[in-house]
Amino acid sequence: MRMIIRRLSLYALTAWVAITVNFLLPRLMPGNPVQTMIGKLTGQVTAAEMNAIQLSFGGSFKQGLFAQYFTYLTQLFHGNFGSSITLGAPVGAILRESVPWTVGLIGVSTIVSFAVGTFAGALLGWTRGSRLDSLIPTATFFQAIPYFFLGTVMLLVFASNLHWFPVLGAYSQNATPGWNWNFVGNVIRYGELPVISIVLSSIAGWMLGMRNMMITMVGEDFVLMAVAKGLPRRKVIMHAARNAILPSIANLSLAIGLVVSGALLVELVFNYPGVGDLLLQAVLNEDYPLIQGIFLVITLTVLCANLIADVVYLALDPRTRTEAAV
Amino acid sequence: MSADTFDIQAVSPMREGPAERKGNAVANVERSEFVLEVNNFSVDYGVGENMVRAVNDVTLHLRRSKVLGVAGESGSGKSTLVYAMTRLLRAPGVISGGSVTLNFTSRDDEKEFTTLNLVTASEKELRKIRWSHVSIVLQSALSALNPVLRVGREFDEVLKTHRPDMSKAQRRARAVELLTMVGLNDDRLARYPHELSGGQRQRIMIALALALDPDLVIMDEPTTALDVVTQREIISELHDLRSRFGFALIFITHDLSLLVELADEIVVMYAGEIVERAGASELYEAPRHPYTLGLLNSFPPLHGPRRELSGIPGSPPDLSDLPAGCNFYPRCPFAMSRCENEAPALTAIENSDRSVACWLHSSDSSVPVPVELSRTVNPARNPVTTLKERP
Repeated sequence: MRMIIRRLSLYALTAWVAITVNFLLPRLMPGNPVQTMIGKLTGQVTAAEMNAIQLSFGGSFKQGLFAQYFTYLTQLFHGNFGSSITLGAPVGAILRESVPWTVGLIGVSTIVSFAVGTFAGALLGWTRGSRLDSLIPTATFFQAIPYFFLGTVMLLVFASNLHWFPVLGAYSQNATPGWNWNFVGNVIRYGELPVISIVLSSIAGWMLGMRNMMITMVGEDFVLMAVAKGLPRRKVIMHAARNAILPSIANLSLAIGLVVSGALLVELVFNYPGVGDLLLQAVLNEDYPLIQGIFLVITLTVLCANLIADVVYLALDPRTRTEAAV
Repeated sequence: MSADTFDIQAVSPMREGPAERKGNAVANVERSEFVLEVNNFSVDYGVGENMVRAVNDVTLHLRRSKVLGVAGESGSGKSTLVYAMTRLLRAPGVISGGSVTLNFTSRDDEKEFTTLNLVTASEKELRKIRWSHVSIVLQSALSALNPVLRVGREFDEVLKTHRPDMSKAQRRARAVELLTMVGLNDDRLARYPHELSGGQRQRIMIALALALDPDLVIMDEPTTALDVVTQREIISELHDLRSRFGFALIFITHDLSLLVELADEIVVMYAGEIVERAGASELYEAPRHPYTLGLLNSFPPLHGPRRELSGIPGSPPDLSDLPAGCNFYPRCPFAMSRCENEAPALTAIENSDRSVACWLHSSDSSVPVPVELSRTVNPARNPVTTLKERP
């Protein structure tokens, strides 16, 4: 219990540091977002207009840094991320719109890739040297191809030419978004190809990691003991797999942390309306509030993922529960 | 299955055991007096050119409820022998010849005695006899227990697998009973292996090995990783347990002085072959093979006068490049010219029930047997107090 509290406070501290850095970074950069935007506007801008623009993006810049920081924290606490410069809407609302798409797509892909890859890896490790081993070079091949290329080719072949999958976007243009089976089914249909492409390009890592750990575990005494105990083969494999999976769990937490940020290429190729796409637009348009908002979301997801992984790891490996002497 | 299968408290007097308890007159006639018969057993590592013979033509017979000690240096093939015997040897180990016969009482029918050749048995047959008839204790209990499972789970698992009709409460009760037997509190069941001491872990392994009341328990250096005090306690407990439950025991170690306390008979292995076989105290007090003598001089005795430890000169043989004659020839202090080219076979010594593989004891040997190798057992002069003789 004490350890959980300690970990939680460590995470709270990390979150605070991340938020602060997120606040400071744009202010350390040369230039001024309002000036940049005004520079882009053609024609004259009156003083009143300038003031109005400044007010709409978080008040006056004449405030001291500390006062700004305080305002920032208060606003953040109320869920106010400011307004996007290019889209004109509140950043919070924009993120609420796009984050679920990315989390859904990449999250599902990551979990499918992890589950299938780990299962295959466990089998490969157990049956080392069998014909199944040919799966490894195949999987590594797909991982070695740059994702951008793999995604484009798959889109071209399976969607454009063979028409097995719908082409672009997250759902059909005729569908009305809403929580009904029709729309959810449509979203799943549109998600299939992106998910398959991501799984293909990432599965080798899970498979190899699990296979190698499995081979190490198979040589351990407790696996020999499991055989000596006359356990059915399935249970013997479980003895080994239960231990072999531990490093994979640690990797999964890192992968989940990258769910929000790692989506850029996928969303670009499949024209998926997620965070990656949004970030690209924000960067191209120098939309500071939006960039800041996205960075914050990414940071917080990574933290949450690590927290979850920590808890899962504690549950899975009793050895990590022993507190180090302080 | 009858209810009394687990009623181990009800087991019978010292040094008898499952045999007497389960059997009846008719069945006892049919049943072999040996629990394990190993004949001309050989094990290789690898095949083809790089093949190395780790166990060569070993023949062993183990009577019910007896303790067989297997001694030898690292690499003498003693562990390979028992792992191969129980078909637990991993690749590249291959059984290249011989037979291993296990005689056991079938659980399905208490009167039925079954014989199984472990070398040819199928996986399914092996699973059936594993742990319920032959269990094993490894050297490192830390690595033999699954690090992420509570100790209780290990007990639960074997009982669940081999005794499917036991309820959860019965399994738990049996686990507590087993722990009590080895002198541990039942709160250990909720612990993970890393939370226990080395001695506790090894006791748990022993309790686990006895969970199904097996006919044969194999222990591969179970006390080597422990300190001498714990070693001592465990050996003594083992002796008590064995007299209570009457399982046969194969005990592997390189420490002959430890073995002599526990074993009825000892075989000494060198380079994958048995070089000497004798009753425990005969072998301890009156070794016949120069290698046995060397082993004895490498360990301080647990009892009796101090003596100088000399060890064995040279290093264990390279199995891929064995000498033409006797394997021990290059290290033997009594080597003769004959030993260089002719390999001695394990032969019985006249007027005794022991055998040795050494030309010195050959009937046509012209050289007198050195005094170190011709001692006689004189219990009156220098008695070895062993656990077996304690009340």
